[in-house]
Amino acid sequence: MKFLRVKMGNREVSVEEVPQAYRGLGGRGLTSTIINAEVSPTCDPLGPENKLILAPGLLSGTNLVNTSRISIGAKSPLTGTIKESNAGGTVAAALGHLGITAVIFEGQAPVGELFIFRIDENGDGSLMPASVYKGMRTYALAEKMLETYGKKTSVLCIGPAGEQGSTAASIQSTDVDGRPCRAAGRGGLGAVMGAKGLKAIVVDQTGKGTDAIADPQAFKEAAKAFAKAVKEHPFTGRMLPALGTAGMVAPVNSMGAFPTLNATKGVMEGWEKISGEALSEIFKERGGNPSHMGCSQCIVHCSNEFVDKEGKYVTSSLEYETIWSMGGMTGIDDFDTIAQLDRLCDDIGVDTMDTGVAVAVAMDSGYKNFGDGQAAIEMVKEIGMGTPFGKILGNGAAAVGKHFNHKRVPVVKGQAIAAYDPRAMQGNAVTYATSPMGADHTAGNVVGEYMAGTLDPLKPEGQMEASRKSQIAMASVDCTGLCLLASFALTTPEGGGAFLKAMNAKLGLQMGPEDIPAMGIRVLKEELDFNRKAGFTSADDRLPRFFYEEALPPHNKVVLISDEQMDQALAF
Amino acid sequence: MRLNVKLFGTLGKGFQGYRQEDGLNVEIPDGAQVSDLIGHLELSVTKGCVVVVEGRVVKPTGFLENGMAVHILQAGAGG
Repeated sequence: MKFLRVKMGNREVSVEEVPQAYRGLGGRGLTSTIINAEVSPTCDPLGPENKLILAPGLLSGTNLVNTSRISIGAKSPLTGTIKESNAGGTVAAALGHLGITAVIFEGQAPVGELFIFRIDENGDGSLMPASVYKGMRTYALAEKMLETYGKKTSVLCIGPAGEQGSTAASIQSTDVDGRPCRAAGRGGLGAVMGAKGLKAIVVDQTGKGTDAIADPQAFKEAAKAFAKAVKEHPFTGRMLPALGTAGMVAPVNSMGAFPTLNATKGVMEGWEKISGEALSEIFKERGGNPSHMGCSQCIVHCSNEFVDKEGKYVTSSLEYETIWSMGGMTGIDDFDTIAQLDRLCDDIGVDTMDTGVAVAVAMDSGYKNFGDGQAAIEMVKEIGMGTPFGKILGNGAAAVGKHFNHKRVPVVKGQAIAAYDPRAMQGNAVTYATSPMGADHTAGNVVGEYMAGTLDPLKPEGQMEASRKSQIAMASVDCTGLCLLASFALTTPEGGGAFLKAMNAKLGLQMGPEDIPAMGIRVLKEELDFNRKAGFTSADDRLPRFFYEEALPPHNKVVLISDEQMDQALAF
Repeated sequence: MRLNVKLFGTLGKGFQGYRQEDGLNVEIPDGAQVSDLIGHLELSVTKGCVVVVEGRVVKPTGFLENGMAVHILQAGAGG
């Protein structure tokens, strides 16, 4: 267990023991706690006072399946709030194998200088000049990094958008095949990395310094039981390997909650063309890989590799949220165009969600027509070129809305919503409004309750409680390194029990089921405390007016959650 | 009653010759509930099947009516 602290100003790298106060924290719990302790809440997110923190989950680097999420945290330049965005790939496991609990980047490199931070097989870190890579896109950069440091290397990197300080810039993470196609997309963390003068972080994957497991035998048994639970769950064991997250296009459209044409409709005309089922047919016709292993330790294989009509790789992975933002929101019903847009975003280094919504807002403003795929591609290319419009688009949907003085801008605290309309899934209205991160489905998605039939998505009753419960659960899961999708296995007694046993065996604790939500509440309190000190109040925990005023077809509902209910959601 | 049933996720694979654009034309007794339809198709609610009619999730005890367009889906969440 150790922290690496990297001072970008004087290129000093130090190793620290993990302070007692941080023991038992990992992932989001660690990034948010450190930020609240060490970062001035009122600082400029792109200034030297902000810190960029990487933290693998508590279980990353062990052989427990699907625990390879890397949490990346900072004060967000997009939302102004605390931010954690987590990504898959290989870097969390690599850091875990080196016994590195967190890496903290602080200060800024001298103006105009650019660096790579490399962590070698011994866990030693060093900064190396990287000006030669200035302006390089992420696919070319990742290839260079693997050529230079070997194929057993994990890469986190930014593209031109991060270097330009675009507030929707992502940090891209390499998958098991070394492609920078996984993303810590939300909140503009790529811009924070760029502002520090950091182009890439490369981590050797061959470390042998994994932190000791307190009870190895118990851990082994629990890990086996958890893997079985993941394999046997209908969602993680059957649907995701077959269709990936694209399988959600059908359910959400069927329920009238698929925000379409900049959130003016809840069902997309022709959604069947961009459904998981249609994607599956394309794989049958063209090849590609519908069941790809994207992340270390993954047994779900929800990732895919999309190829063009000639069988040439385009992107990995075409996910539900991207299909929605680049398809449903823009009216583009063509997988080839959506795949190109996904690849462009990964390569330039911008969030596919905020960028897709930004394109939709521009189209809704009359700048281009809905459904014009070529126009969308040209718009996104402008981000990489750094044109005046590209710089606006690269700052996300809120910036585009402001530019066009458009009223219908689906963002909360500056961050675009996700693929579940809050008028047709009222619990997600609570999550979007009250999450400390801005609008974010991964902070507490309630769709599972609706599909289980345990909660009516269109009525206000029970939504605050469902969102609160889900936000607490997700804050807990985000501490562990467990993939959100694999976390569905926690909902079975076998899966939940095995995971708790694995946590206890790893950490040498005797936690009960009630201790897991306690962990989530602790994290949320840290985040809310930071936001309060940054000047956020309950008045910020609201959705844009149009969600309360414009009814969404086909259910013709507006958001029905009262301000009082919103204020109760995270009133700890 | 007659129903048009569309199957999503991996559910269509269990029906030889199933075509997504056509769905299944199913005939079951009047007064049938969702659970009857699921049983008729030899599917299982406990295996993650969700029935949606006119944009609303219908519980296993919910009643069906002649001519309904029924979607049978697999529960989950996106990423």
